[in-house]
Amino acid sequence: MQTVGRTRTHFLIRAWTAFVVLAIYLPIACGALAGLSKGRYFAFPIRVFSGEWWGKTWDSFEIHVLVQNSVLIALIVTVLSVLFAFFGALAFARYPWKGRRAFQRLLLLPIFFPQPVLGLALLLWFNALGISPSWKTAVVAHLVWIVPVVTLVIAIQVFSFDPVLEEAASDLGASRLFTLRTVTLPILWPGIWSGALFAFLLSWGNFPLSLYTAGADSTIPKWLYSKMVAGYTPMVPALGTMSTLTAAALLLAGGLVRLLLKKRADLRAREG
Amino acid sequence: MSSVAVSPVSASPAVSKTPRPVLQLVDVRKVFDGFAAVDGINLDIEEGEFVTIVGPSGSGKTTLLRMLAGLESPSDGYITLRGELINDVPSNRRPTCLVFQSLALFPHMTVGDNIEFPLRVRKMAPEERRRRALELMAKVRLPEDYYAKNVMLCSGGEKQRVALARAFAYDPDVLFFDEPLSALDYKLKKLLEKELKDLHRESGKTFVYITHSLEEAMVMSDRIGVMRAGKVVQIGTPEQIYSTPADRFVAEFFGEVNTVPIRRSADGWLRRDGRPVAVTSGLSIDGDEATVVIRPEYMRFVTDDAVADNTIVGTIFNEYSLGSRLQYQVRSRTGRTFLVEVPRAAAWKGTGEVTIGWDARNAIVVGG
Amino acid sequence: MADTSLSAPEAKLTPGLRASLPVLVLLIAGFLAPLVTVAAYAFATPKSFDVFRSFTLANFAAIVDPSNTVWTSFVWALALAFCCVAILLVICYPIASVLFVFPLFVSENVRLYGWVLFFIKNGVLDGALKWFGFSGGPELLYTPGITLFGMVYVYLPFMLFPMTLGIAMIPRDLVDAASDLGAGRLMIWREVELPLAMPGILIGALLTFVLAAGAVAEAKILGGQSVITITQDIEVAFTYAQNWPMGSALALILVLIVSGLALTAMARIDLDKILGKR
Repeated sequence: MQTVGRTRTHFLIRAWTAFVVLAIYLPIACGALAGLSKGRYFAFPIRVFSGEWWGKTWDSFEIHVLVQNSVLIALIVTVLSVLFAFFGALAFARYPWKGRRAFQRLLLLPIFFPQPVLGLALLLWFNALGISPSWKTAVVAHLVWIVPVVTLVIAIQVFSFDPVLEEAASDLGASRLFTLRTVTLPILWPGIWSGALFAFLLSWGNFPLSLYTAGADSTIPKWLYSKMVAGYTPMVPALGTMSTLTAAALLLAGGLVRLLLKKRADLRAREG
Repeated sequence: MSSVAVSPVSASPAVSKTPRPVLQLVDVRKVFDGFAAVDGINLDIEEGEFVTIVGPSGSGKTTLLRMLAGLESPSDGYITLRGELINDVPSNRRPTCLVFQSLALFPHMTVGDNIEFPLRVRKMAPEERRRRALELMAKVRLPEDYYAKNVMLCSGGEKQRVALARAFAYDPDVLFFDEPLSALDYKLKKLLEKELKDLHRESGKTFVYITHSLEEAMVMSDRIGVMRAGKVVQIGTPEQIYSTPADRFVAEFFGEVNTVPIRRSADGWLRRDGRPVAVTSGLSIDGDEATVVIRPEYMRFVTDDAVADNTIVGTIFNEYSLGSRLQYQVRSRTGRTFLVEVPRAAAWKGTGEVTIGWDARNAIVVGG
Repeated sequence: MADTSLSAPEAKLTPGLRASLPVLVLLIAGFLAPLVTVAAYAFATPKSFDVFRSFTLANFAAIVDPSNTVWTSFVWALALAFCCVAILLVICYPIASVLFVFPLFVSENVRLYGWVLFFIKNGVLDGALKWFGFSGGPELLYTPGITLFGMVYVYLPFMLFPMTLGIAMIPRDLVDAASDLGAGRLMIWREVELPLAMPGILIGALLTFVLAAGAVAEAKILGGQSVITITQDIEVAFTYAQNWPMGSALALILVLIVSGLALTAMARIDLDKILGKR
């Protein structure tokens, strides 16, 4: 019977989805588990749970420096990439201009590019320019691939923006700046907000670019990698879990803010 | 499907008369999250009929059509096609075809591929498919060289014709139309309405059409059903719907009307100001409150030479030209607004207060 | 270059061009310039730093020299990338209605290391099996197979995201219409859903192929260097070996393969349509 067949397919799809989602989060759970075990070496099932390694990680001066680096880089990248990407998105989606197609494709290239190779190419470029790699060069490297991503995120919002609104505002006597402030920005705000969130989180979790372009400065993913390759300590899964939880909390908070923004906009629309 | 063949005749209370309806709906309901989009519809559609369902947006007409086409199944009631229960027959196994509001043309196919789609489902041989597609294109007046044209490059009217040809290619017993003309400009719409009507007559197929435009319905239909809040409030020929609307809603749906609230008394119906009102219809209304509905074209200026059964005194505060006719807005002494539509020749030339009126035979009394 | 039409002197800047300038400058200075430098180094004398002062094909000659086994890295990288895409297509198509972006924000080494903890001796799998009385888990770590597994795992969101976008783009009416015209589920899928979702699927396949071809962390963390990918060779040339011209030549070949693919595919895709311009 057709309906039976359909139910069975639906069930299989559901089961498959559940399996994939489980597989996606399984290693993250394994890491959390390892960070909470008391022993110096990981063994499953865990005999004694303890927050000891979390405490050690939390107190470590070395890790404080890493977190500072990561936060600093991510913040600068967020601010700069939103600025770049806002105008980039307008060029991408808002204005019909001669080079738009070419611009769209150029913008995609850094996304369609293996990041380790990009990092190495940048390393070579910085060396050729005589710039010694540090967290500042890492910011540039992050920007090269995060700006295109954020541009796309904002561009999706720009695509749904009707340019006639800007014309109407100007027709009603508004200056360009006033129009930008009262019409364009409020409508694009959800996209900009998502873009900023993407920028911070992508920079926060980026490993291949930081690895090659941060020089002697280290970020959380870079430090974790160096310890994974040589010298396991339970601080690795502990810090990894902390970093993941931070990202999750930010994503959640960002989603919440977006929801609130939308609620407020709806409310205003209803009152207006 | 064996489950399909169950005859509903024994189960349905309203057994058919002759001729047997091609589509029969009995107490059909559709509930979405506790909201009844379609709330108990009984409807018989005869073979070869052109039935139009009109109603404002949200009245449930699209849901009704989707159930008929098999894209939704009813929560309750029976839908039968030539006596067979089809409640849960999927759309691809029904001999019916829907022309979507969006037309739903396959954007990655040519005009020819779109029209041949149902023929490919039936595994018809390629040469025959092509022959049949060209035949149908001629029938809907599409040039032959459109066969290989990208369907997305066609104009609005051409897309319309492709969608029609595709539906006919399926060779359904009943065709459904979900406001397919709503996106077209006025002139093209008028043209296609006529062509659709011709196509209906030539093909002899049953058409069920939904729209929110009564004008569209009047032009094409044999019968019109008016829907409101999930129910069919009236069904009848265009003439019946126009001249004897079942209630104020139907009357107002046809366009601008004048309404005068009345109440029952021992001496017959009275107006608000206590004056009696002459009526010829609505004598069987149950309640004590009713409304007299008068179309603007039945209102006229009352003079000593031209008396009327009922009169109202007021002042003209607006005048519009409707081309060959003129429309006046008159405010009565009690502050109600009335519309009077007269031929240009009968334009009001006087000044000051004016008496307007209507004859009882031109008014309709509806309950509430 | 993609921007030749832009650099032509124009009487006045159009708003579009003006808005694109910050990003253009960033991409020229941070993306195109490094690639040009890489290309220049690829033709410099091996093991030297005299870029632009020497021109030689010695690096490429060394790569194609049969005594050099660097070509195996290319084969591994491309073969793994190909398999990765094929597997991801099968995994993702049925679930391309759910979206999880979160894994994108956790650095891949953390996620991969979780699998190390899962598969390692006395790890989650091994320990759990022993606890249930089995003799222990299979030795999966440090094999080419686990490298592929890691790649599939890391790049899954990159396949899923465009694919879901592509499938979500199919208007519901078209599927309904096909069914109404008598098509069965297989025919609807083959004739309507698949062709219309194709741009999204293509983008997903392209993106994952490109990323997987340049992958290195999977082979290092999970694969234990049982497979040397081409990116690792490039890295070694740039860092320990200090043979920049060699590394550049390798990188140039990889970039040409990857961008050749990307540009061909992109030329056939209408971004305005995919991202939803009316």
